[in-house]
Amino acid sequence: MRLPRFEFIKPVSLEESLTLLEKYGGKAKVLAGGTDLLVNMKYGVLRPETVMSIKGIPELCSISSDGGGHTTIGACVNLSDLAENMTIAEKFPALHSAVKSVASKHIRNMASLGGNLCLDTRCWYYNQSKLWRDARELCHRTGGSVCHAIKGSKRCHAINASDTAPALIALDAKIAVMKKGQKRLIPAKEFYRDDGISHTILEPGEMVTSIQLPEGNGNSQSTFIKVSMRKGIDFATGSIAAHAIENGKGVAGIRLVVGSIASAPVLLDKSSQVITESGLTEKSIEKAAETVRSELGTLTNLFTSAGYKRHLAEVLVRRALSEIKEKIGRARK
Amino acid sequence: MKKLLSLTVNGDTYEVAVSPWKTLLDVLRDELGLMGTKRGCGIGTCGVCTVIIDGKAILSCLTLALECEGKAITTIEGISSEGLLHPVQKSFIENGAIQCGYCSPGIIMTAKALLDENPHPSDDEIKEALAGTFCRCTGHVKIMEAVKKAAQPAGEGASHAPGK
Repeated sequence: MRLPRFEFIKPVSLEESLTLLEKYGGKAKVLAGGTDLLVNMKYGVLRPETVMSIKGIPELCSISSDGGGHTTIGACVNLSDLAENMTIAEKFPALHSAVKSVASKHIRNMASLGGNLCLDTRCWYYNQSKLWRDARELCHRTGGSVCHAIKGSKRCHAINASDTAPALIALDAKIAVMKKGQKRLIPAKEFYRDDGISHTILEPGEMVTSIQLPEGNGNSQSTFIKVSMRKGIDFATGSIAAHAIENGKGVAGIRLVVGSIASAPVLLDKSSQVITESGLTEKSIEKAAETVRSELGTLTNLFTSAGYKRHLAEVLVRRALSEIKEKIGRARK
Repeated sequence: MKKLLSLTVNGDTYEVAVSPWKTLLDVLRDELGLMGTKRGCGIGTCGVCTVIIDGKAILSCLTLALECEGKAITTIEGISSEGLLHPVQKSFIENGAIQCGYCSPGIIMTAKALLDENPHPSDDEIKEALAGTFCRCTGHVKIMEAVKKAAQPAGEGASHAPGK
């Protein structure tokens, strides 16, 4: 598969990149690692007139701590570098595991954190070559008005398969989004829209520039678990990130986020509440896992059946909470 | 519009005029005639197009050629020197880790990048590094053996210094 034609620009400063992005608007796509964008361009599902590489912008490629309790990771930071960063591994285990679980080492050597956050949604019709797609009528995503994944659906149900998204939402990260003359800091959980087509809140001319993580004061535990068909290299069939804050006596607050089962990561408020109210015991873990089924709302049969997704979410909640319980137990010793 | 690009491949510098939509793989094969690097899935899952850029195994099918200016690129052609095969290549032959051979350049480059960085990897580390490659003849057991034998304890095996 060859790439379609496009114009290539490579700004060397953030200011220049935002000016260019304003000028080209929706006709340009931002290129960092390229492991998602270039694949979708080869498939012909994305056809930007201009591709803007942000790899030459130094401020987007660094990891720093401001001393005031926040770690900032540039959007262009490479996933292999991030996985090898021991400070990140110690402070944010959920993010470390999520990054390590992305695709293969080859891809992590190329891909960026910002790119994984913005990872395009996936579906068994959409993520195919043009030749393959042409065999059927166009779907919502490709300009038509049907959904090949869910018969009769009026919307696109493509799945958000980002591994780092649930981890960053659980860790209460904020995403810095910039456009010419404007910067907004968006809580990670508000970054996604439950829509297979327009799956992030990014507007034309905007791009993710960095990710801010609150460091806490050493009283938190987090974990990330991914289940996929192939262990070596694959998108998740389902994933979970959990982040608990302790107050010495017990769990003061916990955040559970399930990924890769819907068009946006799902924050499990009710299951989390069960733990916040009755602490982290074997009984409450069981109750939280049971709560998930009723909390997930409508699920689709895309990639796996809705029933399987519901069961998987329950299993993942149980596993993640047991891991957190064990981690807290170990930390107290 | 084509742009003039200076590429450093296996220590040699090439000046090529490249269209923005050409990948490094396109340029290596079609412009420079370096056919050792293979074209496989084109979407980043098979690893046959692996080359080493600045010490890391990367996929040349998903790398724009224009992004490679000023970088040290090593392909399968550049790891043997003066007719002597690289220890990983030798180990692949000695251990029968080649069947049809199509995936071999990509896997050998992947293994070389791993051993350059970590001369004595554990089984799990080898598996993690090779996860992004794919042998359709299903020769992964032999491939694992070959990489393990190429990564002998210090002093027993040859060095993994790059050819050029």
